[in-house]
Amino acid sequence: MLALTYDVGNIWLDSLLGVLALVALMTVSALMLIWLERKISARIQMRLGPMRVGPYGLLQTAADALKLIGKEDLRPKTANRWVFELAPFAVFVPTFAALVTIPFTRDWAIAFLDLGLFYVVAVTGLAFVGFLMAGWASDNKYALLGGMRAAAQLISYEVPMVVTLVAVAMVAGSLNLSEIVLFQNRIPLFVWQPLGFFIFIVAALAELERQPFDIPTAESEVVGGPFIEYSGIRWSMFFLASYTSLLIYSLLGSIVFLGGWEWPLGTEAGLWLQILLILVKTSLFIAFFMWVRFALVRLRIDQLMSYCWKVLIPLAFLQVFLNGLVLVYGWPDGFLLLTSGAGLALAMYIIYRAVDTEPRELRMVPARGGGSSAQAATVDATGSG
Amino acid sequence: MIGIFKSMYITFATMLRTPVTIEYPAKHRDVPQRDRAFPILLWDKEVDEPFCTGCHACERACPVECMTVTMKDNPLHADEKSTRRKIVDEFWIDYGRCMRCNICVEVCNFEAIAMNNTWAGHELSKFDRNDLVLDLQQLLSQHKQDKIDAWVAE
Repeated sequence: MLALTYDVGNIWLDSLLGVLALVALMTVSALMLIWLERKISARIQMRLGPMRVGPYGLLQTAADALKLIGKEDLRPKTANRWVFELAPFAVFVPTFAALVTIPFTRDWAIAFLDLGLFYVVAVTGLAFVGFLMAGWASDNKYALLGGMRAAAQLISYEVPMVVTLVAVAMVAGSLNLSEIVLFQNRIPLFVWQPLGFFIFIVAALAELERQPFDIPTAESEVVGGPFIEYSGIRWSMFFLASYTSLLIYSLLGSIVFLGGWEWPLGTEAGLWLQILLILVKTSLFIAFFMWVRFALVRLRIDQLMSYCWKVLIPLAFLQVFLNGLVLVYGWPDGFLLLTSGAGLALAMYIIYRAVDTEPRELRMVPARGGGSSAQAATVDATGSG
Repeated sequence: MIGIFKSMYITFATMLRTPVTIEYPAKHRDVPQRDRAFPILLWDKEVDEPFCTGCHACERACPVECMTVTMKDNPLHADEKSTRRKIVDEFWIDYGRCMRCNICVEVCNFEAIAMNNTWAGHELSKFDRNDLVLDLQQLLSQHKQDKIDAWVAE
């Protein structure tokens, strides 16, 4: 960002400045997001949230970060040392790398890549390796279980996510994030592709491991999952990475579906207006993600998996198919809106069916081996004989 | 599905309501009139002496034996300023032992002792438990300075 506004001339200095800007952005945004999440959760539960440190508790997360840095960096004796210590970096680096190509405004990005969308998806998809490493190396059954769940969930939800983004790229005709934004200067893509938008939000929730998809890190099931053995700075790296990916998916959503810095003010909007637009859209996403967290209950792992593979992926392919029809036959965009809206209604109906079905009736049979049931079995046998 | 929307609506509606939290050390909610903190002694402003005559009624009634009272002849009675022949000499209450049962207030014949119904009666943390043993002056000071609207037993 700095590198683009000021021409420093030296390519190394240039990249160093870019990295520094990104690190500052990541840290500050993570601190703010944690504060915001605590505030929102407090208000939903009619509390005040952090109020003591700084005005309205704004410096609370800074104080927490300071505390975490000061804590001892613990490692279990039986843990696999290098894998355990490198796992936070394996989570942290992909999220950091994904931020590189996100265009914040027309002229602000560290790198404008022609394959930006592909790059973001590919790089964020790598984060599961870190969770798996953390889970495996901790030598803890809950951590291992959580790591495996994280791997399963992240890989599964990568598929509908990628397929909807492919559908977007088909219509926009480019994988360059800036061009996708330029394509939406009149009407953003969520209008034409409500189904794709819905799938993106659900898949992003799952990719972020946030409620209701927080199965890998569920406190009541696997007590924190892969993070269970971590403390201090390494634990806070996991946390930083998770909030940064929240920021990344919100940015990606606002760029790909809400028209980024472009809609509704057009290309010629000034720099500050562009920043304001992308800020508002990203905040909407973030607020929605945080709101959902306190509204919905956690899914079971089988519900999660079957929802992804049986519902989201076919619907994502349906969206691609519809886009293909519109592109090949040159049908009006209204057709896309109609059919995609119908697909969204179908998705809603499927959720409705799944939520509102009566629980399966449990058929009880006497267990074998026990005293009373053995007696019952003999009685039954004599009765039938 | 409808349940999902309902839960989203409820959480959003709750978010708009005022929080119920009271930021305690900064803000104190009102203590009820009959609030029962620790016992204090009352000051007779007409005669300018304590109501307490040191009769040991509260001391004997106290289930946890947190009180120590001594009695003396009232010098003001000799000057005929007061009708009390005897007056309290020394009075200690160990707030560390007191269980706030209100019995001392009920047995007092002179309406001389009352339960503290202000925040000063609650916020009493000390670094040394000996500081919780209050003497006569400390016990009297709150009512003497008109800082309390005390309730006594009839």
